[in-house]
Amino acid sequence: MIVVDIIVAGLILGGLYATVALGLTLQYGVARIMNLAYGEFIVAAAFGAWWLFTANAISPLAGLVVIVPLAFLANWLIYHLLLMPLVRRARSREVLEGDSILFTFGLLFVMQGVMLSLFGGQLYSYSYLLVPIDVIGTTVSANRLIAFAFAIVIGLGLYLVLTRTRAGTAMRAVAVDPRSARLVGIDVPRMSALAFALGGALCAAAGVLISMFLTFSASGGVLFTMKALIVVIMGGVGSLLGTLVAGLLLGLAEVATARLIDPGLTLAVNFAIFLAVLLVRPTGLFGRPSS
Amino acid sequence: MTAGRLWLGPLLILAVVGLAVVPIYANGYYLALGISMLNYVVLATAWALFSGPTRYISLATAAFFGIGAYTMAVLSEAIPVAAVIVVAAAVGVAVALVVGLATLRLRGVFFVIFTFGLAELIRQIVTWYEVKITKTVGRYIFLDIGQEQIYWQLLALAVLVFVVGWLIGRSRLGLAMRVIGDDETVARHVAIDTTRAKLILFAVSAAFMSVAGAVMAPRWTYIDSAIAFNPMISFQVVIMALLGGAGKLYGPLLGVIPLVLLFEVINANFPNHFAIVLGVVFIVIVYFLPGGVAGLYDRWRAGSIRLPVVATRDSAAPGSATLELVGLRKAFGGLVAVDDLDLRAAPGEIVGLIGPNGSGKTTALNLISGALKPDSGDILFKGRPITGLPANRIARLGVARTFQIVRVLEHLSCLENIVAGLAFRPQPLWGDAARRRGRELLDRVGLAERADVPAGDLTYIDQKRLELARALALDPELLLLDEWLAGLNPSELVIGIELIQSLRDEGLTIVMVEHVMDAIRTLCDRCVVMNAGARIADGPPSAVLAEPDVIAAYLGGADA
Repeated sequence: MIVVDIIVAGLILGGLYATVALGLTLQYGVARIMNLAYGEFIVAAAFGAWWLFTANAISPLAGLVVIVPLAFLANWLIYHLLLMPLVRRARSREVLEGDSILFTFGLLFVMQGVMLSLFGGQLYSYSYLLVPIDVIGTTVSANRLIAFAFAIVIGLGLYLVLTRTRAGTAMRAVAVDPRSARLVGIDVPRMSALAFALGGALCAAAGVLISMFLTFSASGGVLFTMKALIVVIMGGVGSLLGTLVAGLLLGLAEVATARLIDPGLTLAVNFAIFLAVLLVRPTGLFGRPSS
Repeated sequence: MTAGRLWLGPLLILAVVGLAVVPIYANGYYLALGISMLNYVVLATAWALFSGPTRYISLATAAFFGIGAYTMAVLSEAIPVAAVIVVAAAVGVAVALVVGLATLRLRGVFFVIFTFGLAELIRQIVTWYEVKITKTVGRYIFLDIGQEQIYWQLLALAVLVFVVGWLIGRSRLGLAMRVIGDDETVARHVAIDTTRAKLILFAVSAAFMSVAGAVMAPRWTYIDSAIAFNPMISFQVVIMALLGGAGKLYGPLLGVIPLVLLFEVINANFPNHFAIVLGVVFIVIVYFLPGGVAGLYDRWRAGSIRLPVVATRDSAAPGSATLELVGLRKAFGGLVAVDDLDLRAAPGEIVGLIGPNGSGKTTALNLISGALKPDSGDILFKGRPITGLPANRIARLGVARTFQIVRVLEHLSCLENIVAGLAFRPQPLWGDAARRRGRELLDRVGLAERADVPAGDLTYIDQKRLELARALALDPELLLLDEWLAGLNPSELVIGIELIQSLRDEGLTIVMVEHVMDAIRTLCDRCVVMNAGARIADGPPSAVLAEPDVIAAYLGGADA
């Protein structure tokens, strides 16, 4: 049944897109940093998992324990050392957005260049848990299913952190209105740094999960960035539910396009949906209208 | 512009002639370098035409360049080269219009992201079409066009970009773009159709990029979609324009020359480290050169020249303005901010709109000025409905406003702020006439001395005055003041009240939201009191302020 095939494969891919985009939601929605080097962080984490697996025989799931905290630390340092001066200098949200776009362009190329000189331009992959599993009449490989399960756990975990903890509540407050958040005693720079680092950690987790079943290359980060951006904006910046819905929508559309029309047109379809949504709802599916 | 710049014209002509004879003497390597440089001069300058003033970082350069190059590849054997160039420009403009119509109304960030993927999007579609329909992967270009001819064509194109850019800079469109770059809401309230202005410039910029692509195409004898739509071009153009400074017409040129040389050296010696260097240059620019090289020059040159002030006054046209709100309603989610509001302002009347905080006064003004669209109800201006019109149309009809939180165009001088108000009204003023009238208006609000100071450097009170002068520049019949008197000290208050009175004497109708009760009593013929979105009283200030409902609304409702 091709319909079942498309729905199962689409939902799994979409769930992973949503996970990929979660980190960007935090970085852009809370810390107000439009991180265009996001995909490069995903690829870097994928290379990390590949190296642990091929050179040290450490499974990617165990690798999460190493890579995710490292990514948290790295992103926290990047925010404090490199982005803080821009945040302090910015007079408005628009200025910071512009500056962060340009800065992360720089970061994008630097990271890409470093990875190119380390790994070259070829495609990488490794086979881990490549076992077919039957899901309501369609076959899915075990690594995809496990990645999907982890994605759900991570998404739920983030939801609980944001809604049930003090730090999470503070982050949501900063996302809505940084100025008012300051008035109720929230340390906005600290929370922004935390959100950026947490976003980076989620991004790395997504990179590790993706490396289990997708090929990746040093210059392939841009495509991940594109998709994450589309998901975040289409869902409504800062909305977890929106990110999930937009991710699933995108995954379904992509699989359907690839199966029914042509695999080469997936980006075109992504963009068409992106534009259609924004023309009807300029703040995204679940975005709040800005006054 | 001034006599001091007269030497510039001959010098520029000399420079172009000098560049034109280069191919006669230069060898192949330097000619190729010259072509590369001219190509980037065209692309970066065209990029800055649109992105400089609007601050929309466009990454669509590769898409338009590729459109031009691919058009040449497809059509070069069918029709003459000159015709191909025209077609390339037309296709570029058409794509720019479609993309612009879809994305330019959105926030700047969304535009960046869309253009980020545009080249890849078009490349996918072209590849799919070629593979599926025409069954080709790439195309050969067999044209008898030498390097010299490409060089000369690019030089001509570069000259054309600068001429067009210079003309735009002097036109009302140029000013409109700078106002939009500073504050888009203000732009709409001085009657600028912002989407149209952005769209025009985006299309002009795209046309130049596409033509550059078409001119460059014969350099490759073989083209496929991956060569034509190379995304690196977009990034290189952005970085060159930003290094030089996108705010000035000549800025991108200053960035192109060093960076083309730098990239040339790197490509020759360290081809594998190209990306790293590009990245580092980006980061350096963001940290140390936010205004580009041209911006440095400006900072160094800062300090403006004072000109003598011409102070005459002419009276505004006697108005027959009437505002009428009928059953106006606006809800934000569950909160009804304006609930079934009726209001009338007769010609020459000052109507006070008062009420406790959160009662919907500013929302009511936003509905009248077109900043928000009402859910239901009618707004009649001089008897004609203006309900739901865009803010720029309403401004053109003769409704001007100030904002509760002052909004001046910080990067423009005070005089330019006023000229922005003069240039887009139905009887626009431009050039000397606009500057003369602008100075009169500045004088009227007591800012004659500060005409050439950037508006961002004014004190808060002076910014309020400037905002009023800008509103008056529209020559409105109805003026909406949103707490314009708030924050003035007692002596400034007296001056402010006199100013408003003099406006009324000239026939202006004024609706003012105000908390300063002294001003209300002195100025207003009539007062409308709002509470929780609805009108609870209407009448002369003294009578209205004594009503029990009004007192209850302000002091909290005591149940009898």
